[in-house]
Amino acid sequence: MFKELDPILHSQLRLAIMSLLISVKEAEFTFIREKTNATAGNLSVQVQKLKDAGYIEVIKQFKDNYPQTTCKVTPIGLKAFEDYVKALQQYLKV
Amino acid sequence: MANETKFSEQESLQLIAEMIKKAKGSYHDTGIGSLLWGGVVSIASLMNFLQRTYDFKLWFDIWWLVLAAIIPQVYISIKEKKIQKAKQYDDDLVNSVWLVFGISLFAMGFYQNIVPFQTEKLIAEEGWTLMKHFSDGRPDEVIRPFTPSLYSIYILFYAFPTMVTGLVKKFNPMKYGAIITYGLFLLSLFTESRFDMLLGSIAALVCWFIPGIILRRKYLAQTRSNV
Repeated sequence: MFKELDPILHSQLRLAIMSLLISVKEAEFTFIREKTNATAGNLSVQVQKLKDAGYIEVIKQFKDNYPQTTCKVTPIGLKAFEDYVKALQQYLKV
Repeated sequence: MANETKFSEQESLQLIAEMIKKAKGSYHDTGIGSLLWGGVVSIASLMNFLQRTYDFKLWFDIWWLVLAAIIPQVYISIKEKKIQKAKQYDDDLVNSVWLVFGISLFAMGFYQNIVPFQTEKLIAEEGWTLMKHFSDGRPDEVIRPFTPSLYSIYILFYAFPTMVTGLVKKFNPMKYGAIITYGLFLLSLFTESRFDMLLGSIAALVCWFIPGIILRRKYLAQTRSNV
């Protein structure tokens, strides 16, 4: 029986954010925006959804008098991402 | 990128692969640190070799140049930290290796300067001294104890963090530089200490300066492509 794909991750932008964050230890909001080509508003909403699900940690601080938002994957997020990839492999019989 | 667009499983996998590739390809060292240290250590070693070969002295100890390079390095590190938007998993490991390498080099400098003096003091307390005896009848000379061919150990040290960085970052120029430097270390075991300086100069070039040029080119190419 096929495992249902996680609806939080099975969305283009949220999956792109998670895939980026999986590859690095942490990344600034501007980095994610650059790589996904998303608008700041749209990205903020999706980052918040991932944060609410406990998949990512969002750290807001000031750097040289400018606000800086840094994101990193949590252990829950890592597990969810692994499960998502496993489910995908099941679907595709990879 | 659309936020809630439904897409196929195949597209999901493609997106994951594409994003991982983008994240991995997003980071390049600026190369300035490698160029700085490669240049400074190479010049200092070469100058030391020339001073000893052509018997002249500069008005300052050339190794102070290496010490002085810490100041621009601190500035470079702060500046690079500011422009770095994503932190890789292996950054902390590589930075720690270079920090330990720096501390070890300074510790070696203390060893090199303190041990001969202390040994001379200790053997004087025991009531004997080290003498150079010439077989051609020239009068004996008192000599200060020293560690023979110590620069060979420095050359060996140069290879260590370079090899670790090359292996962790999968950066072949540093791997090859370290392998060549291990060869230079072996060669230095058979050469007199003045030539060890020349080998050390080559080691700094292959370990840091040449990889620094390659890193700088990659970084500039990436910066241009981001514009």
